Amino acid sequence: MTMTRTSVLAGAATALALTALSAPALAQTELLIWHMEQPPHRVERIQSLLDAFNAANPDITVRQEPQNWGEIYAKAPAAVAAGNAPDLLFAIPDFTPLLKQLGAVQPVDAIVAMLDEAHGFYPAALEPYAYDGHVWAVPLYNMAVSLWYHRPMLEAAGIAPPTTWDALRAAAEALTGDGVYGIGLPANKHLYTDQTTYALMVNNGASALYDADGSIRFDTPETQGALAFYDELAAFSPPDIASWTWGEAEACFASRACAMILQFTVITTFETQTDGTPDQLGVAAIPAAEGVADPGTIAYANGVMLLTDDPAKHDAAAEFLSFLMTPENYGRFLNMEPGLFLPVTETGAEAESFWSDPVAVAYRSQIETMLENSRNGRLFGFTDGNIFPSIAAISAQNLISQATQRVVLGDEDPADAAAEVQEMMEDAIE
Amino acid sequence: MSVTSSPEPGTAADRATRRPRAWPAGLDSRRRREAALGYLFIAPLVLWLVATILWPLAASVHLSLLDVRLIGTQGSFIGLDNYIRVLTDDRFWAAIGRSGIWILGNAVLQTVLAFSAALVLAQLFPGVRVARTLVILSWIVPTVVAVIFWRFLLNASGGGLINPLLIELGLTDDPVGFFSSGGSAMTSLIVINSWRWFPFITVILLAALLRVPSDLYEAAAIDGATAVQRFRYITVPMLQPTLFVVGLIGTLLSFNVFDIIWLITAGGPSSDTTTAPVMIYETAFKRFRLSIAAAMSVVTALILVAFALVFIRFAQPKEMG
Repeated sequence: MTMTRTSVLAGAATALALTALSAPALAQTELLIWHMEQPPHRVERIQSLLDAFNAANPDITVRQEPQNWGEIYAKAPAAVAAGNAPDLLFAIPDFTPLLKQLGAVQPVDAIVAMLDEAHGFYPAALEPYAYDGHVWAVPLYNMAVSLWYHRPMLEAAGIAPPTTWDALRAAAEALTGDGVYGIGLPANKHLYTDQTTYALMVNNGASALYDADGSIRFDTPETQGALAFYDELAAFSPPDIASWTWGEAEACFASRACAMILQFTVITTFETQTDGTPDQLGVAAIPAAEGVADPGTIAYANGVMLLTDDPAKHDAAAEFLSFLMTPENYGRFLNMEPGLFLPVTETGAEAESFWSDPVAVAYRSQIETMLENSRNGRLFGFTDGNIFPSIAAISAQNLISQATQRVVLGDEDPADAAAEVQEMMEDAIE
Repeated sequence: MSVTSSPEPGTAADRATRRPRAWPAGLDSRRRREAALGYLFIAPLVLWLVATILWPLAASVHLSLLDVRLIGTQGSFIGLDNYIRVLTDDRFWAAIGRSGIWILGNAVLQTVLAFSAALVLAQLFPGVRVARTLVILSWIVPTVVAVIFWRFLLNASGGGLINPLLIELGLTDDPVGFFSSGGSAMTSLIVINSWRWFPFITVILLAALLRVPSDLYEAAAIDGATAVQRFRYITVPMLQPTLFVVGLIGTLLSFNVFDIIWLITAGGPSSDTTTAPVMIYETAFKRFRLSIAAAMSVVTALILVAFALVFIRFAQPKEMG
């Protein structure tokens, strides 16, 4: 039998029609996420959540492309300028104003309101993203600095976990000796030193970096007091703190060369690199100076920004974030790094999926303390609603740590150092 | 038999005889084809150079005349304002000064280390081939590995090697913080960078040393020259062209070192190890002043060009001139 041209065409048309009928009725919406959680196990955990979401939502496809913090400050603005920015981009508070001033960030008020109603955001997590009449990122997880200590070392010295500056100074001094340093505090020109210095500033009433009119208020008696106290504590720290980042501090703590450190977490290091048991690991709030009314710590509420104005993608993003913040998924998301990432919602803090992780089971009391501390978290440049895009230049240059270096390493008077760095900050925001 | 004489050089007759001859038609077209083929062969390289050197250079100069702060934002033309700002900025000149110290320290240390290593490796002894291979290890190791390695060595809070050694030898009672002051931080960085780069110079010097004819040394020895005299009057003069090239290229490479400084001190403590490249990077990507950083780059490039010209003018061996 020979096929005529007409029969071939008819067959093709039929096949085409059948294909069209069998195709999904819904249009596909694709979402691309850039995040900076590069370690393979974190990427893998995020992918497992994406796979679950994509399977449950056939009309939406979410993809991830891991980035790194070292490059994202240059890469993201370039991507925005080139028109190939991702739809969702993870953020820390001082990254958001940078992209906001490029006009790339979309308000997420509606998504946040919906999630807040369902899960109850902690106000401290929302505060750094709420300004200029909108919310500019959806908080996802929190990290807060706490005081970590070796419980047996303090007990052997008859020292209770310090809650005041006087007690902290006395403990650091008493624990120093025989190759042990009472406290390991960094003095590097580095974000870690920014964080530990600000943690002391908060506890001396110097949490605000801006006045309401956008002028800098770094050179204050409270900041000078915090710098002076930092200098006193640094005397009980190892001599190589000028090159310390988070890793060196954790190594010092794990080797028991440091009795106390200020850190986001040491749980994983303690668990994997020491022979200590969970009950030997102590954690407490950062001690406060006498008479400070509103003590706290430094906390980074990591969030996700929406960079697309496509309504379909906006809806898809809302759908995806609802999925992510649902307690049974949220705990798995947070536990991509167990013992580090803390929930920013009330339902998340009670989620079985969060507390059932083996690390969380073993270190539950420590994580509960971390969570408690995070509720009093603040971030320099993001307090009292006085938030300005220029904070990105201040934090990127690690100017706070430069004040610390002047006092601790350069033996400058804290008043001179604060005045000098105030000028540098004013130059940075010019 | 007639005798023809050549025209006087420089005269019209001389110029007339030097005028190119008209080639036969076939040959002319062949030469043109060959020339076209030649241009075709070098075209990719020329395009590559334009794309990777000239274009970015022109873009930097253009950027330096604008007021762009952040990558991806537009700027307006502000003429030479950025240059005035840079040239009157004490911090910029302080960074250039620190770059000078950095270059000098590296030049002295690397020359001493490389010369010593090359002189030893030029001798014939059992295992010299292995030694010549091993010497380049610190150069081929990635910078980040070298940094981790040195941070471990200099660690003072458990696990370091240098501090326990110093204490064991009785040179210090307490561990030393090698990056705790401006002076010690700069010195430590110079040592680390020299450790990393001296094999590169060693290999070049060794190659030059092995090319020095051995009969020169033998003749000098017969004449009663001491080892020092042989080094002074044979080795050094014979290596002069190599030393000139190494001096020029080594200085420019040293000046541009950024990674080791950034990874270890980030320019600190305070700004005590902030060299010009570190300051340019900070200005562009930490202070978000892209155009000012471009102006700094252009000024720095001009300083380096001036240095290269002066170096060539005064240090170039006569036989290379």
